[in-house]
Amino acid sequence: MPVDNSEIKELVRERYGARAQRVIELAPVVAEGHEHGDGCGCSVDAACCGPADLEHAMRLYSEGQLAGLPAESVAASAGCGNPTALAGLRPGERVLDLGSGGGIDCFLAAQQVGDSGRVTGLDMTPAMLELARKNQANLGLTNVEFVQGELEAMPLPGDSFDVIISNCVVCLSPDKDAVFSESFRVLAPGGRIHLSDVLALTREGPAVADAESWVACAAGAEYHEVYVGRLRRAGFEDIEVKGEGVEFWDDGEKGTYTNTAGFKVTARKPG
Amino acid sequence: MKKDLMEILACPVCKGGLELRADVEDGDEVVAGTLVCGACNESYPIEDTIPNLLPPELRRELG
Repeated sequence: MPVDNSEIKELVRERYGARAQRVIELAPVVAEGHEHGDGCGCSVDAACCGPADLEHAMRLYSEGQLAGLPAESVAASAGCGNPTALAGLRPGERVLDLGSGGGIDCFLAAQQVGDSGRVTGLDMTPAMLELARKNQANLGLTNVEFVQGELEAMPLPGDSFDVIISNCVVCLSPDKDAVFSESFRVLAPGGRIHLSDVLALTREGPAVADAESWVACAAGAEYHEVYVGRLRRAGFEDIEVKGEGVEFWDDGEKGTYTNTAGFKVTARKPG
Repeated sequence: MKKDLMEILACPVCKGGLELRADVEDGDEVVAGTLVCGACNESYPIEDTIPNLLPPELRRELG
């Protein structure tokens, strides 16, 4: 391990907390951009609405998905994929989102599982939780809850979820074995996990190894065989890895993400 | 947090069941209070409606 685990945790909390804070402060600006009285016709449109953060989400989510979501949840998103799109969520299912951030994936999941279902967002960063709660209040969703906790030591009982989703978060963890064993524990038998994550394209791994690059989801990216091996050791089966095919980085960030890409990883807890 | 969230919370350390001690409530929402583990006796704060269930060591590190 090239960098210290607690240093990574602290930096993740600091950087993602700052991201949430920026969105909270920008909220009035974003809201103003979303008054569609001028007939701009956009739902969430970076050119129309200003903050460049929105552009990031627009590469990953469909326009239909983003319509109706608070711009703040969209602007705070720092994902590398769109996990609810493939989770095949059904009404009534119990969903856990690992590293829920501003809540975008929780809100999309909540719409799919309906009032008989339940979505729980788990995140360790206070400012992100504050933002998620504000966004939830704006949406008036009652089937979503946010909990402050650690992915490696989940404050949740065993066998209590049907589906786990996560968007570009496991790559941030310095202890992926703990994340996967905890995921396995809290999933009900037959439950499934759908991860959008950054993986390394070759065994050599990412081109970068410093703590800042961990926080950017690059240095913690693992080769898919290593990642799948961890899932298998945790007890998962039917593990599948597919390329996401989306460039989630900005032009200036390309070097950091050399030899990495966004992937969808799915697996199942034996029934 | 809503009170019925208690059904799906557990101690992050020992996974024991938690007991709710609500200080400030707003309808079925708990705004402030404490969650206490019945098994290992560790306690966790609820602040601004969000239960902080980080393991105690991390909670102290992150301030």
